[in-house]
Amino acid sequence: MYAEILEESISPKGRNELIRAISKGIVEPDERALRIAFSCLLCRRDEFSCSAQLKNADVTESFRRYLLERGVPMLPEHDLLAKNLANYGNPWGESKSARKRWAKDFLTKRFVNGKTGTLFYVGCTFSLDRTLQESPRALASIMQKANEDFGLLLDDELCCGSTAKRIGAAALFDKVRKLNSEKIRATGTKRIVTACSGCFKTLKQDYGGLLNGIEILHSTEYIALMIEQGRLKLDELPKKVTYHDPCHLGRHAGVYDAPRWILSSIPRLKLIEMRNSREKSRCCGGGAGVKTAYPSISQKVAVKRIEEADKTGADMLVTTCPFCMQTLKSAAQESGSKIEVIELSVLIDRISHPKGGRK
Amino acid sequence: MESGVLEAVKKSLISCLGETKVLWKKPDIVLYRKDTYRIKFDEDYKYLPDLVVLPETTAEVQEIVKVAAERRIPLIPKGGGSSRTGMLVPIHGGILVDTIKMNRVIEVSVPNLYVTVQPGVTLKELEEHLSEHNLALNQEQGSLRMATVGGSISTSGFSRKHQKYGTIADRVMSLEVVLADGRILRTGPKVLYTSTGYRLHQLFVGAEGTLGIITEATLRVEPLPEAKDAIVAFYKGFWEANEAAQRIMSSGVTFTGGEAYEGHDMSSYGAPPGLNGLFYVGFEGIKGEVEAEVEFVKKIVADTGGVLATHENASRFMGMYSEQWCGARTRTKSEDVLTTYVPMERMVEFYDILWNKIGKKYGISPLPGEKYGLDVGRYRIVAGRFFLPKGEGAYEKYQSALREIAELATGMGGSVSSCHGVGIQHKESIKLEYSEIALETMRAIKRTLDPDNIMNPGKKIDA
Repeated sequence: MYAEILEESISPKGRNELIRAISKGIVEPDERALRIAFSCLLCRRDEFSCSAQLKNADVTESFRRYLLERGVPMLPEHDLLAKNLANYGNPWGESKSARKRWAKDFLTKRFVNGKTGTLFYVGCTFSLDRTLQESPRALASIMQKANEDFGLLLDDELCCGSTAKRIGAAALFDKVRKLNSEKIRATGTKRIVTACSGCFKTLKQDYGGLLNGIEILHSTEYIALMIEQGRLKLDELPKKVTYHDPCHLGRHAGVYDAPRWILSSIPRLKLIEMRNSREKSRCCGGGAGVKTAYPSISQKVAVKRIEEADKTGADMLVTTCPFCMQTLKSAAQESGSKIEVIELSVLIDRISHPKGGRK
Repeated sequence: MESGVLEAVKKSLISCLGETKVLWKKPDIVLYRKDTYRIKFDEDYKYLPDLVVLPETTAEVQEIVKVAAERRIPLIPKGGGSSRTGMLVPIHGGILVDTIKMNRVIEVSVPNLYVTVQPGVTLKELEEHLSEHNLALNQEQGSLRMATVGGSISTSGFSRKHQKYGTIADRVMSLEVVLADGRILRTGPKVLYTSTGYRLHQLFVGAEGTLGIITEATLRVEPLPEAKDAIVAFYKGFWEANEAAQRIMSSGVTFTGGEAYEGHDMSSYGAPPGLNGLFYVGFEGIKGEVEAEVEFVKKIVADTGGVLATHENASRFMGMYSEQWCGARTRTKSEDVLTTYVPMERMVEFYDILWNKIGKKYGISPLPGEKYGLDVGRYRIVAGRFFLPKGEGAYEKYQSALREIAELATGMGGSVSSCHGVGIQHKESIKLEYSEIALETMRAIKRTLDPDNIMNPGKKIDA
């Protein structure tokens, strides 16, 4: 975000200085301090080029929590998200039953506790944003093709709590993760697959052991496994594609290879890396409450990423996170880019068929 | 600043710049209290600017200066903020002018080999921009990722490629400067050499913002080289590596720059056990030229008992140059660095007195692998990083040590600070370096250009 605004107070250095000044009582915590705390995408990109090895994302997240605990009122934009989560069980204020709207072809796949094998955890954004619902349908379809014994929680699914954690609502996050982990534990599943990078990072890294013993796979890891095991066959796709690493999947969770391996497994597909990829990948601008609090800056960040993707000459920009999809699609539209922004599961569903069969 | 005045000034600035470019809330301005200079430990939050402004154009800078001049309010121009000597500390409060939004590349002239930029573009951004035109500024200072063109000029910064391309001082062709009364000075035509007027642009090189605010710079650039190479060699210690350095400097061979130092755990670059001395040299030019230079230097390495690193390790080593800049400083928490310029024949004596007398007397000790260092070439910086003293009276000991180091370097005919400027850190010590007539001439220049002493007052030289 600093690169867009060029005010040093919102740079990692500025935030760290502010944290120090507040902790020493030099500066009083106030709304401006909270705005500065929220002027960070928590993308960790700076950390991979930081020779001082600062952990800016973790520090900033703690700073948000600290300011709220010190009594600074939550930003109105975030207050709405937190209230939605408390009242509706998702940050987007949709009803419980709306959660299964995407799944009208998969209503028979309701998870049977103690019987079904793999839990497909969809997450709030993929299941509730109508523009993204193709993704969960594609992943469910892929699981069917791979003859996976999987089930869905449908309208019983709870939020993972990622949004609460990123906006500093610590008590709410604790409550949500407790409820969600109890719900998941009650299914008796030994394996969760999710296509949402935010849910993946949160379930895997932020649950403090509540889901220990359950394997948590991102959809890219799962699909790669299915291809490797020969349970999924891919048709050729004579296209040039580039891949955008979602921050929660890449820098936070270290999953860089699986999506690339999948793409390189597609016959006749050419994968071209952007100038900044893997650890150096630019953020899409959609993370950490920034899109809600600073939509225009979020959009600028996304447009920069689209420009990088365009420079590769690729036909398609593939990614695998609902927030990346939202911001990059909108930025491609705004900047007049011709590149097709597509979620990896959707792409794979289009060109895959079960072992021994044709699509 | 008295609160009524502050409100009036704030209002004037907002009407010139708009609200978003004027900062006054404490969470926004607290970080502008200092640069990377080690301010007195218990005075860390003593000096805050009253206001911070973020202009984008020369006209906006002009408006800011006029507002300040009217009420004789101090102005502190800022670039990337990597100064080590306190030149950005607002010791008299005032308006801090952050030029970071003035980051446009205005013109790239390929036939005339120059680039005209606003001062806030960083050296790294500029190199990236120029590379798209197959050009390079060739200014590699350790802080290149954050240092701006304006800051580098104002500090007279170093470049790792100084031997072939000079430092920023050698790159400046022409400047636009907003003077203390708000007038805009153009120092001269966009030419590298002219024998007509006084070389006014050089007056602002290393001026630390005390004479005006640079708002545009035209800099000489070079075509990207056809070939690049580097040699890294390991030696038993610094003094063995220095032998190779001395031979190269006296040989006349062309190279971009180099360094000899006593490294710390060089095994990750393939150093054989026990070899902690390191020597590197870079080369750029046309292919045959670079090949010949590399062969020449390899022979010197062989003759002086050095062990060459593999090509891969040498490339890796050269690539981490800017990585070590702020990282080492942050991780060690409490350190400072010397950039003294010492005559070569006095280097052994300098280091002996530095570590065995001054160091022991005041409790300063070198960081691992930073005891000895020499920038190889015509820019002969004798450097070392050291831990600050600890315990009671630590700050006073630190200042006394700096003073004695300054006396040592200048007593040998050298300089206190070859590339970090003066700021407040060396303000007293530069008196050791210049005659009273030279100092009075500098003061006269300052008084002529800034009679009310509003341009970064209290830095570099007393008005």
